[in-house]
Amino acid sequence: MITAVEGLPGTPVQIGSEIYSELLTMQYQDARYLDTGDFSTWLNQFHEDIRYSMPCRITRLPKDGPGFDPEMEFFSENHISLSTRVKRLETDMAWSEQPGSRTRHFVSNTLVRALEDDRYLVVSSLMVTRMRDDLPYDMFTGERRDQVVRTSEGFKIIERVVLLDQTVLRSYNLSIFF
Amino acid sequence: MAIIERPQSSEGSLLRDGTDLHDLVDADFGRISRRIYGDPEIFELEMERIFRRAWLFIGHESEVPEPGDYVTRDLAGEPIIMVRDDDTEEIGAFLNSCRHRGMRVCRADKDNVAFMRCAYHGWTYATNGDLRAAFAEELYDEEHLKKEELGLIPVTKVASYHGMVFGTWDENAPDLEDYLGDMKFYLDLLVGRSPTGFRVVGAPQVWEVNTNWKFATDNFTGDNAHLPTTHGSMVELQMLPPDPMAFSYGTMIDTTKGHVLHMVPGPPNPDGYYFGLPPEQVDGLKATLSQAHQDIARDHFISVGTVFPNLSYLQVMVSSVMGGPPAPFLNWRMWVPTGPHSTKIYSWFFIENNASAEYLKDSYECYVRTFGPSGIYEQDDMENWEECTRVNVGKIAQQYDLHHGMNMHLEPNPDWKGPGIAYPTSYGEMTQVAYYANWLRWMTEDDPTSDKVQK
Repeated sequence: MITAVEGLPGTPVQIGSEIYSELLTMQYQDARYLDTGDFSTWLNQFHEDIRYSMPCRITRLPKDGPGFDPEMEFFSENHISLSTRVKRLETDMAWSEQPGSRTRHFVSNTLVRALEDDRYLVVSSLMVTRMRDDLPYDMFTGERRDQVVRTSEGFKIIERVVLLDQTVLRSYNLSIFF
Repeated sequence: MAIIERPQSSEGSLLRDGTDLHDLVDADFGRISRRIYGDPEIFELEMERIFRRAWLFIGHESEVPEPGDYVTRDLAGEPIIMVRDDDTEEIGAFLNSCRHRGMRVCRADKDNVAFMRCAYHGWTYATNGDLRAAFAEELYDEEHLKKEELGLIPVTKVASYHGMVFGTWDENAPDLEDYLGDMKFYLDLLVGRSPTGFRVVGAPQVWEVNTNWKFATDNFTGDNAHLPTTHGSMVELQMLPPDPMAFSYGTMIDTTKGHVLHMVPGPPNPDGYYFGLPPEQVDGLKATLSQAHQDIARDHFISVGTVFPNLSYLQVMVSSVMGGPPAPFLNWRMWVPTGPHSTKIYSWFFIENNASAEYLKDSYECYVRTFGPSGIYEQDDMENWEECTRVNVGKIAQQYDLHHGMNMHLEPNPDWKGPGIAYPTSYGEMTQVAYYANWLRWMTEDDPTSDKVQK
């Protein structure tokens, strides 16, 4: 899952090119939708066939690879389940976000690869901080891999995989999005 | 070698400030002192008197399917290895600590090994724990290197029930099946109902929560009364019924050794519930279990419970998306205390070995979306447990006991088809109080598993 540059599928898209800028803008907008709590607009970026996954990770020796579990995730979502999560936050009884989290999504180190059929792979480093109430803050770091497809309504994310660096989450819940 | 010092019940119930532990749990009235949820002295006593004596869950046999497979776990705050011996193929459990300097010998969460070699000086152990080689053995006098005495320290007793592996550090502990007692009947319903057995899918989800471990067990004694409020968002989304009394039906069971659970029926269904399992799994259940088991399975679709002290389960059937069909899943979890106010949660998703691809997918997605750290139900549970823990450490707060009184004096149902004391409701606090009464026995008695109840 986490691979060297040569292991990434597709062909490199040059940093600074028009496509690169367009896709990087999407990444920054994505972060801003989340950090301002605009979840319904955030949801609009996803293709109706979105697969949204955060695999669990365990500590393995280097011979066995990075340790992502092929059978267990922290998120295993499609469009309707993401919509359900957003609708839930819109009730006034989703206590894990009443009062709400103050998040900051930092996206960096973005590389873009061109795939077949007008699809692109956007690979970024992700750091997410979450402050809530007066509690010590939670921090999540990892790699985010978005597969983006061009549609009549512009680019849509059709696959998002979040590859955390943590094995044991030092956080009481994942009531936020990544 | 005696690892455990047994508490003396006459003096052992007194805390350093003179408080008697018996005054912190009033099982007759249902008053529980807030002090038990995070007092450092009580936490140390729990580790000594409960966690280093009781049978604790280690893992499932399917997590180490091949000879030489190991997983690393925690048993009463000590790192351990569960390993399948490559010779006998038996599962053993050992302290994960080299006999030479104490270094952790196995340092991945899981691996497959021919032997276990310490990374410090190279002492090497077989998968049955025997010390196979020390470094520069020829430099030791014979009496200074008795290899037969220097194997990995075994977990004192290890046993399994339906593939669930348990261990205890107490050489005087009763056999596992005696310890489980009447809970065995209900474990049969959960993990003994398939002729092909169960497996764990993938790794356990693991996360750390700033709660005292007992707020988790308290919630997993079969606390349906929190559903309409804690999970009110799910009611608003019409994923739970709007009538707050819809969750009140069912049976709460005290199996009398601290193991407690509830069984809840679903909306009317003439075909029975069988936990919402697909037809081929219902057939397997009927072919495997007794008539009493079958009758209870037919009448129920949800069950939540706890094996004393810190192993809990959810056999649940809910929808994971708005307007979507419900799916059943079986989830086991272990609440590992890492401090008075912190708990590491291990959460395993279980499925029958012969599950169809469709059942596996529906069950898995339902579990991950509704429970676990991102679960649209469980997110809100941990909100409660953390805040209860934070507030209840206050010395002013601790002057006022917590209230457990709902349906406390309901008469048991003599016609219940399973073992244990069965109360005909799912809205009650008697299983919680029974759990705390057992907690008190373990905290104060020499032999808390004896059938004689000491007052």
